[in-house]
This record gives sequence, C-alpha cells and structure tokens, in this order.
Amino acid sequence: MLEISNLMVFYENAVALNDFSMTVQSGGIVAVIGSNSAGKTTLMNTLSGLIIDTKLKEQRKGGERITIYGKIVFNGEDITDLYPSERVKRGMVLCRERHPIFPESDLLENLWIAGYLRKKPEIRKAIDYVFELFPTLVRLKSRKAGFLSGGEQQMLTIGMALVVKPTLLLLDEPLLGLSPMMQTTLVDAIKKISLETGLTIVISEQFARPILPMIDHGYIIENGMMTLDGTGLELMENPEVKGAYFGV
Amino acid sequence: MWEVALIYGFINSVILALTALGFSLTFGISGVSNFAYGAMYIFAGFASWLLLNKLALPFFLSAAIAVILTAGLGAAMYRFVLLRVRGLVISEVIATFGVGLIILELFRYLGFSGFEYTLPVFSDGSLLIGNTYVDYQRIWIVGVGIVLAIGLYLFTHYTKIGLAFRGIAQDEHTALSLGINSDRIAGLSVAFGSGLAAIAAILILPRGTIAVNDGYDVLINAMAVCIIGGLGSSVGVVLASFLIGYAQIMTDILSGPHWKMIISLVAILVILVVKPSGLLGKQKELEERI
Repeated sequence: MLEISNLMVFYENAVALNDFSMTVQSGGIVAVIGSNSAGKTTLMNTLSGLIIDTKLKEQRKGGERITIYGKIVFNGEDITDLYPSERVKRGMVLCRERHPIFPESDLLENLWIAGYLRKKPEIRKAIDYVFELFPTLVRLKSRKAGFLSGGEQQMLTIGMALVVKPTLLLLDEPLLGLSPMMQTTLVDAIKKISLETGLTIVISEQFARPILPMIDHGYIIENGMMTLDGTGLELMENPEVKGAYFGV
Repeated sequence: MWEVALIYGFINSVILALTALGFSLTFGISGVSNFAYGAMYIFAGFASWLLLNKLALPFFLSAAIAVILTAGLGAAMYRFVLLRVRGLVISEVIATFGVGLIILELFRYLGFSGFEYTLPVFSDGSLLIGNTYVDYQRIWIVGVGIVLAIGLYLFTHYTKIGLAFRGIAQDEHTALSLGINSDRIAGLSVAFGSGLAAIAAILILPRGTIAVNDGYDVLINAMAVCIIGGLGSSVGVVLASFLIGYAQIMTDILSGPHWKMIISLVAILVILVVKPSGLLGKQKELEERI
C-alpha cells in the first residue's frame, strides 16, 4: 500500500530524516517508535505532504530551505511531490500531534468541517460511527472544541480523520500529554478502528509500551535513521528496545 | 431631532456593517488585511456605470456583472500578488494597498470624476417613518444589508465552502490535513470579500456620485468597524457598526459632518489602547486562555 524509499529531509543543512525506507501493507497497524527529535513528526509531515506546503511557504518568504529526496509510493502512484490536499483525496489522512482541532467551533461543527470532501449522508454516517467509537463525545457535541480536555480533543482529532474516510490513517504521537487511563482508552479505540474498518494505520509514538503489543510491524527511528524493525513481539523482546523504551 | 438620529443612525450603522462585512470576512478566513478593499468598492461602482452607460446594459444586469468582475479582480489579486507574500503581514498590507492605489489613481488619471458618475436608485420615492422621510434606496440598503448578514451567517455555518472558510480561519494546517486546500479557500475568501464590497457599492453609491476619494473613506470605515468589533468576528462587526454608526450621526447632528471621520479614527485608537482584540475578538481571547 505504502512504500517509502530512501527518504531524506534536510532543514537547511540539518538532516531530519536520513535514508529512511519502510513498507506498509494494507490493513495492518504499523508503528514508528522514536524518542524526541528522532524525526517522527518530519516523517509524518513528509508522508502527508504537509512538508510540501511548509516548503512552499518558506520558499515564498525566503525562509528556511527544506530539501526532500527519495520516493513515496502510495497504491502504486508516486506521490512524493503531491500537495497535501491531493493526498487526502487519495485516502491518506494525518492526525497531527498535540490534538489539533478547530477551537472556536463546537465539537459537531469540527466533524462537519472535516467532511469537506464527503457527501452529507456519508458525513452523517461517519459521525454516527465516531460517537459509537467515543461515546464520551456525545454529550459534548455542542461544546466548543477549545474547551475540551486533552483526551477529548484527541478523540475528536481521530474522529475528524475518520470522517474524511481514509484508507491510510497517520497518527502522529496520539498519546502525547495524556493520562495513562486516557492512553488505554485511545489504544483500545485504535485497535477497534483497525478491526472494524480494516483501515491501515501508521502510528508514530515515543511511548512504546502501550503501542508495541497491538502492532503488526514496527520501526525504531533514531536521529532520522531506521535502526531496527520487526513485529511488535520481536521488538518487545529486543534487549535494546527493552533498555531504551521499557527501562529494563 | 432624536427621531432623525435614531432612524438615520440605524441606516448609517447598516451601511457601515455592509461596507465592513467583506473586509472582515477576508481577514477572518485568510488573515489577509485587504487594503485594496476601498478600491474594489469604487471599481464596482465605475464598472457598473460603464456597463450601464457605455454598453447600455440594464442596471441590474450591469450591477450583477460588476459584482462578478470585482470578485474576479479580488481573485486575480490573490493569485498574482498575494500568493507570493502570503503570511508576511507587512508585505500583504503594502501589496494590497499598492494594488488599491493603482486602481483608484488610475480612475482619477483617466478622468473618472464629476457629477455624471452616478448609479440609478433601485426605486424612487420615500417613506414616512414617524415624522421622518426616508428614501426607498435607504430602505433597500437596510433590507439587503440584513438579508446579506443573515445569508452570510447561514453560508459560513451550513455550507461546505462556508465551513471550510471557518476551518481555515481557525487552523490552516489542520484544515490542510483534512483535504481543504488552504490557498484555494483563501483566494476564494478574497474574491468573496471583494464581491461583498461590490454589493455594498451597488447599494450605497446611488445615494451620491462615484468619487475616487470615497475608496479611501470606505477602507478607513471598514478598518474601524473591524478593529473595534474584533477582527474576524461577524457579530463584532455588526456591534461596532452600530456603535460607530450612531456615534457618527450624533457627531454630525451636534458638531457638523466634518467631524464624522474623526470619530472612527478616535474609536480605533481608544479600542487599540483599551482592548486590542476588539469588543468580540473571541478567537484571540480563547487562544490567550489556552
């Protein structure tokens, strides 16, 4: 479904991603695990194309020079230079880190805005599914999204992405800043989405412990480079992973 | 006197709201302060006049074409000028002000000045409200102004493009990651704002002649209303229009018409000192709280 070959991203002369390659098969959950500044967000922004928009805007104002090498192939099509909105049309949707929502709109309006590319009946159906997935959100329908808690905002962010009806869902640090209880709720929801919809999910995360048990394949990224890969079980058993992420 | 102040204050307020709606909409969505806004207003007036008098088109057809042409001019300005400097606030202001100057001064240079440059009123006659006569054109302005404000609310809350407008206004990157092309929507917002300036011009200009200098006054009034109301807040725009509208009429009655513009400028200064986010600059306040 998704093939990334020799991806390199430079901010001016600093390397953010270094010869990163990865394959994602249809229908599974894949994780990219790494510490802070490992290059996870750059990877997600490069996959979703947001980096193309940033690059364009930086170019226009003569700001930071962003250079991208390598190739991203999605469902057989080279999308390396494709604008983010075009990638979304092809089914690739990113939930950015720190639960981005539209703070001035109420929760329901956030979901309707997310349905920009969909028809009304599809949006209604998707919203029903989101409320079934996250029953907590039902009573918060009319609350301004800016006044929701971090966990509720993260649920909404995932809900908004689901309304777009993706075939590949990219989740950038979905557990960041959440309590352990909320992390469990979200991990359960992600598993449920994968089981019920067959959606392919790529998660970038620094909390390996709750993520590794549910993934089909994982990649460890450090300083922009892929250092290890394997199934969830293999990575959990790996002494280096144990040392670095489980404190064992 | 108080009856006149009440009625004409209301009409003046609706006129101000009408002239500011487009400016507020464009800023609220794309973050672009369209300083060519007054020029778009005058452009619509002259375009309609040319279509009416040189091509002998019916008035309402010439008005409709003028609105479309002005919206097109706004879209072209975004595509060829603003897109290059988007996100650079000072550059945006200078670029749009430059475009506005070119349009306005070109009309002056080409000799578009004099009493013959007028647009016809929608319907002749006047209505007696209490003891005050109000001409039908002003009634039209109030009616269309109210319909437009309600229509705009419904548009931005219940249509796909309107919701995309609201999305881009709040978080461009989030909107982008949901498939909303921010450049296209921002361009649409500038076109839409320019179109609203044109509708305001078609309604308001028949009250007098089309004068190049009015372009500058319209810009100042639109800015005053938006700054006082809170940039990007539609309800704030309406509230500020009524505050300035009545203040201007009272100043006119009590001190003379030459003090009217001063009121707008003083109001801008006061609000910038006392409450920089404007009366209902909600988004900014929300961001500050978070």
